[in-house]
Amino acid sequence: MSGIDDPRIIEAARREAPRSGVLGWLANILDAITGIPGKWRESFRRGPVRTVALTVLLGLGVAYPILALYVLAPFSRNVFPLPLAGDTDLVFMLIFATMAIGLNVVIGFAGLLDLGYVAFYALGAYTAAFLASPHWSGLSFVLLSDVPPGFPGIHIAFWFILPLAAIVAAFWGALLGAPTLRLRGDYLAIVTLGFGEIVPVIFKNLVGVNFELGPIKLVDANLTGGPLGINPIDPPNLFGIKFGAVGGVAPVYLAMVIVFVSLLIARNLEHSRMGRAWAAIREDETAAEMMGVNTVRTKLLAFALGASFAGLAGSLQASYQGATTSDFFQFSTSILVVIMIILGGIGNIYGALVGALALVYVDKVLLAWIGQRMQGFGRSIDNDAIAHLNPASFNFLIFGIVLVAMMRFRPEGLIPNRQRTAELHEAPPDQAIGSAAVLGEAAIASEAQAEAIAEEVASEQGSASQPDAPPRDPDGAGP
Amino acid sequence: MEQLIQTAIIGLSNGLIYALVALGYTLVYGIIELINFAHGSVFMLGSMLALTLFLALGIHGSMPVGVILLAILLVLLVTMTVTATLNVAIERVAYRPLRHAPKLAPLISAIGMDFVLQNVGLLWKGPANQSIENIVPPTNVLTTVLGLQTGLEISYKQLMVAAVTIPLLVALTWFVTRTRQGKAMRATAQDPDTSGLMGINVNRTIAITFLIGGALAGAAGTVQILFNNTTVWNLGFRFGLNAFTSAVLGGIGNLPGAVLGGLILGMINAYSDRYLAAQWTNAIVFAVLIGILVFRPTGLLGQQLAERA
Repeated sequence: MSGIDDPRIIEAARREAPRSGVLGWLANILDAITGIPGKWRESFRRGPVRTVALTVLLGLGVAYPILALYVLAPFSRNVFPLPLAGDTDLVFMLIFATMAIGLNVVIGFAGLLDLGYVAFYALGAYTAAFLASPHWSGLSFVLLSDVPPGFPGIHIAFWFILPLAAIVAAFWGALLGAPTLRLRGDYLAIVTLGFGEIVPVIFKNLVGVNFELGPIKLVDANLTGGPLGINPIDPPNLFGIKFGAVGGVAPVYLAMVIVFVSLLIARNLEHSRMGRAWAAIREDETAAEMMGVNTVRTKLLAFALGASFAGLAGSLQASYQGATTSDFFQFSTSILVVIMIILGGIGNIYGALVGALALVYVDKVLLAWIGQRMQGFGRSIDNDAIAHLNPASFNFLIFGIVLVAMMRFRPEGLIPNRQRTAELHEAPPDQAIGSAAVLGEAAIASEAQAEAIAEEVASEQGSASQPDAPPRDPDGAGP
Repeated sequence: MEQLIQTAIIGLSNGLIYALVALGYTLVYGIIELINFAHGSVFMLGSMLALTLFLALGIHGSMPVGVILLAILLVLLVTMTVTATLNVAIERVAYRPLRHAPKLAPLISAIGMDFVLQNVGLLWKGPANQSIENIVPPTNVLTTVLGLQTGLEISYKQLMVAAVTIPLLVALTWFVTRTRQGKAMRATAQDPDTSGLMGINVNRTIAITFLIGGALAGAAGTVQILFNNTTVWNLGFRFGLNAFTSAVLGGIGNLPGAVLGGLILGMINAYSDRYLAAQWTNAIVFAVLIGILVFRPTGLLGQQLAERA
């Protein structure tokens, strides 16, 4: 463990100290991108084998869509023991990765259990549906979209909708969070769950609305498309390339870029002053408050920022599929995302990424494939029970078992975050007293924590910020 | 006016079933501060088991009253035993190992358990609604038996709900407030560590709490199948959230509060179905839940620390 005046640590901290404001954030992202070669060299010096292996893996990941769709697809049946993910599967893997990265900000960084995350996904999807479809047929407004002018409905280019969906989701996150974040952890979980159930119900039922209030008069108005949802939604479009459901690899790479940017933002958030405040609240809210952290405001930002990722994911889903309906947004989807980050490693962004990719692969590709195999096998041995068994409809049996087993045996996930692991294995103070074994464990835990705190103190010094200054507002989404 | 009262009667009979399930939530929350997400699915499995038993016994409404009553009693006992055992097993597998883990760990484990149980129901009975013929007749007691001239309707079914539920509530109150084991439950709820030092077997007390909660869920499942004639694998999710809302409404950890909350929630459901639109009912229930948690987290009766069990 190096001292906090180690020049390397201070330098690293200076590099990671965030700038505030929207421009500062863009600069941070640019910094992160331009800093990649340097970071790679440093990582190579520390562990060349691991670095090369990870680089090759990343390269394969980036090349995978092209390989899978154009090179390997004809051979896949004979060459691979497992099925390949097609372009739609890949896009959904990446959409869920964006959500998992965002929910990890809420659950992993700030320690707030959000069981209604799907609401923000729905809000993002409906933002895209309202602003890029013929739904408002009485209006005609086209902004930088390839739809011909004068076409009925609002048609705004996807590139404007994407940030707008994030802002809409963040706004609703703040609106829900403002009164509820004072609640205790399990009550917050229930309130968010309720919100996650209400939002799709509202989208489903706001059809045939009769309403009159002053100048606003609605007669049998179709506000949300009702149970049928809204379609068609304009696909994203750049220089004539369409990123819709029939776009081949193009939408996969679009989703990849969104995931990459999400990763960078989440990583910056984690190492920002705000990120350290989140960790403090997660570990001990009272102590954090004593140290001058504005807990309600800090939690609100985690909630709103986390929600904005789901907004991105939702607008991508709607634009990619060209349709959205309220039935798409179920409680089970919220839980699926929770399972992703728990499986991957709570608090670890890369864990969230891997968890999301793996779980959607299992859910959408592997189980269906196993089902086909089983049906074939069942028919070949004339067993009706096996031939009609569909493992894909029991996906949540498997996921439920995974959830219980993970909590029991490895709560820190497959790719653990060191600080989070220490917290999860730490015995509560009153239980630790009087048991030497437990005390030993607690000591190990607090050593890991001390190390993490030392790192944080180091970056605090590097950023030369005043302790009593209010937490910075990373994107101005504060109250 | 008659319609208003009639809706209240329907609401109250559903509310009694909510109350039975809500007690399971409130008992467990009172003692280990865990929202037992899996509880709704225990109730669902109870209703499926009761349905299976009634069909296996070949009970139908035209049989003599004595046979029907005996069958109901038998099914009730078997279902309650099975769900109570199941609930204790769930506690043993999914919650006890996490007793000293951070608070969200058992909650997440409970959600996982809920999905497992739902899928057990799905594997067992398939995705379709499972229905049964009327066993207790829906005959109006007021006009046919009492011979009153009224538009109101109280059926045998509704009386059956009260006849099963109210004795159970009385028995539970007696158990918690008058017995030695009830005292141990109240002590553990207040302070598990000190209770342990005073010679109370904390793990056993918690297991007994789950046993009682499970038994009440089984009773509620049986009543549900007799009253509403239908069950489905995801019934527990909606029903469980309604029941949890009842528990919170009355003040979680508070036994009379859970019953009061259940009755109020049953009425809210009935009035919303009748005077608003059924498709908004769930949203209204959740809005009530959020409103209470935000503005009065202790619920209507508050958390009576000395009495919570």
